Amino acid sequence: MDKQITRREFLRGLAAGSGVALLAACGGGATPAAQDTSTPVPPDGATTAPAQVGGTGSTVNITYWGSFSDVLGEAEQAMVNAFNTAQQDVVVEYQYQGSYEDTAQKFTAALQAQAIPDVILLSDVWWFKFYLAQAIAPLDDLAAQAGVDFSDYQPVLLNEGVRDGVHYWIPFARSTPLFYYNKDIWAEVGLPDRAPRTWDEFGEWAPQLVQRSGNTMTRAAYVHPGAASYIAWLFQGVIWQFGGRYSTPEFEITLNEPDSIRAAQFFSDTVNNYGWAMHSTDINREFIGGQAVSMMASTGALAGIQRNAPFAVGVGFLPEERTFGCPTGGAGLAIPAGASAEKQQAAMAFIAFATSTDGTITWSQSTGYMPVRISAVNDPKMQAFFEENPNFRTAVEQLPKTRAQDAARVFIPNGDQIIGRGLERIVINRENVERVWQDVTVELEEGAAPVLEDLEALRARA
Amino acid sequence: MALTDDVVIVRPQTTMASWRRRSLLWQVAGYLAMAFVVLMIGMPVYWTVVASFKESREIYTIPPTWWPEAPTLANYMRAWNAAPFGRYYINSLITTTSSTAIKVVFAVFSAYALVFLRFPRKNLVFLFLLAALMVPREITIIPNYITVARLGWINTYQGIIIPGAAVAYGTFLLRQYFRTLPQEVLEAARVDGAGHVRILWSVVLPMSQPAVVTMTLLALVDKWNDFLWPLIITNTADMRVLPIGIFWLLDQEGVINWGVVMAGTLFVMLPMLLIFLWAQRYIVEGIASGAVKG
Repeated sequence: MDKQITRREFLRGLAAGSGVALLAACGGGATPAAQDTSTPVPPDGATTAPAQVGGTGSTVNITYWGSFSDVLGEAEQAMVNAFNTAQQDVVVEYQYQGSYEDTAQKFTAALQAQAIPDVILLSDVWWFKFYLAQAIAPLDDLAAQAGVDFSDYQPVLLNEGVRDGVHYWIPFARSTPLFYYNKDIWAEVGLPDRAPRTWDEFGEWAPQLVQRSGNTMTRAAYVHPGAASYIAWLFQGVIWQFGGRYSTPEFEITLNEPDSIRAAQFFSDTVNNYGWAMHSTDINREFIGGQAVSMMASTGALAGIQRNAPFAVGVGFLPEERTFGCPTGGAGLAIPAGASAEKQQAAMAFIAFATSTDGTITWSQSTGYMPVRISAVNDPKMQAFFEENPNFRTAVEQLPKTRAQDAARVFIPNGDQIIGRGLERIVINRENVERVWQDVTVELEEGAAPVLEDLEALRARA
Repeated sequence: MALTDDVVIVRPQTTMASWRRRSLLWQVAGYLAMAFVVLMIGMPVYWTVVASFKESREIYTIPPTWWPEAPTLANYMRAWNAAPFGRYYINSLITTTSSTAIKVVFAVFSAYALVFLRFPRKNLVFLFLLAALMVPREITIIPNYITVARLGWINTYQGIIIPGAAVAYGTFLLRQYFRTLPQEVLEAARVDGAGHVRILWSVVLPMSQPAVVTMTLLALVDKWNDFLWPLIITNTADMRVLPIGIFWLLDQEGVINWGVVMAGTLFVMLPMLLIFLWAQRYIVEGIASGAVKG
């Protein structure tokens, strides 16, 4: 350092430094995929024992990022504790990372900083983004080593996490919509004690359920949520019931097909024409408080609603129109690419434990999420639980009839909110359905373009 | 000034009685407005407190009850036991006090320099500061995360504190206030041979007490309530702060137990409320001492 740095040199240095940081930031998402997971490992028949590498016998510590808090968080911590005491090779630390959205955002940042967890919980609308970025690992080899039997998983749930025949996302905390009704009011009005079989039937019942004082409705027959509470998820079932859909699997948006328009028009009519439905930001509150006597809501809310409602709660399958339609939802587990093979195997051992038959039974009973294993449903412990909770049995019986959601909602970034805000315009602002769906289609197509490019690039690489 | 002149001109034209009537009317309107504002601000606080003593089922009943039917402390017990709030208090205390201290020191020194020192391109420096004020926090989160991760500060106190330590609004606030200080007092101090440190400590700071206290309070509340950054930069429960504790009480899917959430909210609110009550007299005192010049 024999001469002083001039200001120009200093600035150039600064620029270069920030450039490097910028490049690292941009490239971060794609780099971890280079990690090779094909380290030869002796096949291991035991169900939960992690395949051991190196033979040192030391424990592997892994971290698990999840979004479960409160009662769910305690159940998840109990699951992790059970795993840690059941074997000596792996120690899992459960780290709560906020909502599904917070967790995904933090994972994005963590990928760029290369400070990733070993297991991550991703919701139905987030995992695909990380699959596209090649940030989550293919699981088939790992699952085979851990002795995971994919054939015992509920196919409708498992297949959602499969791309080109490869598993990336294992179902864990999965839920579906369910039709909830207020049994006391049903009896008072003299309706049969069941959910309506079709929307036509409900259209006949609804006027009897409504109460008015003057021009204002004091009790609605049905309540719709807003975009922020995932109306696009509930409407996914309805649009199928009417014979429509959001999109084809190839991302072609099909909102302007007659049946898709008919479904949205029906939603609008329930509020604006028939006048028996209301909308609210918190449908659980309206239902429990008696402002509305029926709704579609997640199976995940069943236990909480039954605990808080001052009346008998009834549930049933979603009503049909032309056909039956009900989507799956919730979150699943993935393993970030880029960790060492040893850690990935440890992560798989935990996933195998959490979604084992016994793990599923415990988790389902303490949280209300769908049992992801077929053997769990038939287990005597689960059957006994159904006897005590017939409503939960209904939720599980509906599961085989559900199907994976359309690409437009779950694979297009922000697709859920784009469709949800469109539905708000239709239901709340009474806007013309065709015009709104036209706007939504444009927005979805814009969102789909980069996804299609990424898919193309992935295919070219394969 | 023009306004008071108008009033003076208009006033003699009206009779005494009608003027008195009008002033009474204004007084009533004023009180009504005040009551309205108190209600607007007070209602949510009242609701938070009352709900924290209610059972979950009662919170969901409609019409709502104004007073808990069977007041219970169960929510407080559940909230306290659901998450390590004791640890969260310690962490919040450490991060909030140190971050606030750093912010105040930076703001005082930089504002003093910007007002009382002479150096070239002073306005340009100030402009840069203003520009920093305009950058939304959300944008800086990912770059900050990467920087902090490279420094190896994830899940540490310095990781929570340092990225937010130098903040432009404090400098901005104090600079504006320092500029209003009477030059004569400062010149007198200079004539008496006081250096910069002495002037800052014995003249500028005492006269600026309201501004400094206000800025400190803002910084305190800001850090105390900060949720997203501590959530992202920490991983383990023993490094988490109070607002994350409240979030833990909310259910991701299902029915939220609001009584417990409200009890947790009060854990977070109470210390700040007490500090505000205690600190506000220093704001008033400061305003009084600043008015000596008349």
